Amino acid sequence: MVERTPVEVRCAQLWLGTLVEIRVQASSRAVLDRTVGAAFSVIARVHRTLSAHDPSNELGRVNRDAARVPQRVSPDFSAVLDAALTLAARSRGAFDPTVGARVAAAGFLPRSGPTDPNASWRDVELKNGVVRYRRPLRLDFGGIAKGYAVDCAVHALREHGATAGRVNAGGDLRMFGPSPETVHVRTGGTRSRVFPLAQIADAAVATSAYGDERRRVGRRWATSLIDSRTGLPVMSTRTVSVIADTCMVADALTKVVALRGVAARPLLQDYGAIAAILSPAAHRWRCTLLAPETTQRTVLAA
Amino acid sequence: MHYRWLIGTSLAALAPTAEFAYAAEYMSVETAQRAAFPEATAFDLVLVASDVKAAIARESGRFIVDPRVWRAHAGDRELGWYVVDEVIGKVELITYGVALERDGAVKSIDILAYRESHGDAIRLASWRAQFTGKRAADPVKVDVDIRNLSGATLSSRHVTEGVHRILQIYQRALSHG
Repeated sequence: MVERTPVEVRCAQLWLGTLVEIRVQASSRAVLDRTVGAAFSVIARVHRTLSAHDPSNELGRVNRDAARVPQRVSPDFSAVLDAALTLAARSRGAFDPTVGARVAAAGFLPRSGPTDPNASWRDVELKNGVVRYRRPLRLDFGGIAKGYAVDCAVHALREHGATAGRVNAGGDLRMFGPSPETVHVRTGGTRSRVFPLAQIADAAVATSAYGDERRRVGRRWATSLIDSRTGLPVMSTRTVSVIADTCMVADALTKVVALRGVAARPLLQDYGAIAAILSPAAHRWRCTLLAPETTQRTVLAA
Repeated sequence: MHYRWLIGTSLAALAPTAEFAYAAEYMSVETAQRAAFPEATAFDLVLVASDVKAAIARESGRFIVDPRVWRAHAGDRELGWYVVDEVIGKVELITYGVALERDGAVKSIDILAYRESHGDAIRLASWRAQFTGKRAADPVKVDVDIRNLSGATLSSRHVTEGVHRILQIYQRALSHG
């Protein structure tokens, strides 16, 4: 009997400021090449449209002009902004795509034009693919665009005939296909550790690890995590992993869980997502699992 | 979405992966070249003058700048360039390939191999030794079972700096204009 084994390829390119790795299975070599090429070109498109580091791209144009003249935006822009505003409303602003200016003020992103310090996500209006800012502000999709790019790449892989695969953009990943696989999580901080996290199939995992990219802001230590209630960067040492259906939701929810901790459980439930919070303690890590039915705490050896 | 927690649920999952090192080999140089220039009929190795490489190394504060450069062409028609280089960070060693259009614009950046270690200093030293050809006192185990890693991986900074050096080489040694 001739066994038809699927062919597999694993490749990586640099996009979205990180390593984007694609592993894919298909019935033939030709299908593989087509799927991988399509997936990387979709990621390149999202990168060019939504990167916060390029003032000449679509995001740069909208940030510059949308407070004066309403701006028509692309389907990618519209999809990400819509998801971001929905999450901002549901999380009562714990997730806020307008904190970019404050992230810039903390030194994590290049500064740009003047913004209103009181502006929030409520000042962004999206209607029929047209964006308008009610105050001068700055959108930043840093907390959600990577996940969106991963989802788009997974769609492209499936559309072009891949039977199973994984897209991993700097640690935010999504898998599809029949067999479950083990995902490991890497914690942040100077004493970084790797733990087996979960076994998943047809799901996405995103992790935000704080503590190893901190810097001094004024008189205190800060990370790129901004508390939207105070508008100030916080010093978090948590590592948060979220498992969800899509990588965009997983990516965005890690920030809310990092800020709100156990209080984020109803929101996780809304999105059908679950989370693990790892916090360093003396010589070990504390682990809190947030799932619909349980909150469970354990201590892990380090 | 199907899931089963491993973390914090059983004795086996209590401890972190002890000897953690992450390594991945991706495409071969030949495959990456063909993917970047599907219409190419040949890739010719190009020698870059050593004084150009030495000048760029001096200006960028590196000991050595020595990428391998190929010219991609379809018959007589020049399509562009493919350059392979390596960068070494504090915990990682990355082999990457850059496809350049004829005019020097960056088409894509492939990661061809990526190795890192998050062990303590001694383990790290022996880990790095295996890539510099020295004999390591104790061999380092590379945990090949970790294929799905969530959490920060490499930042693009080192590779981006490497790409800037490659663009310098293009300007001084490859461009015709």
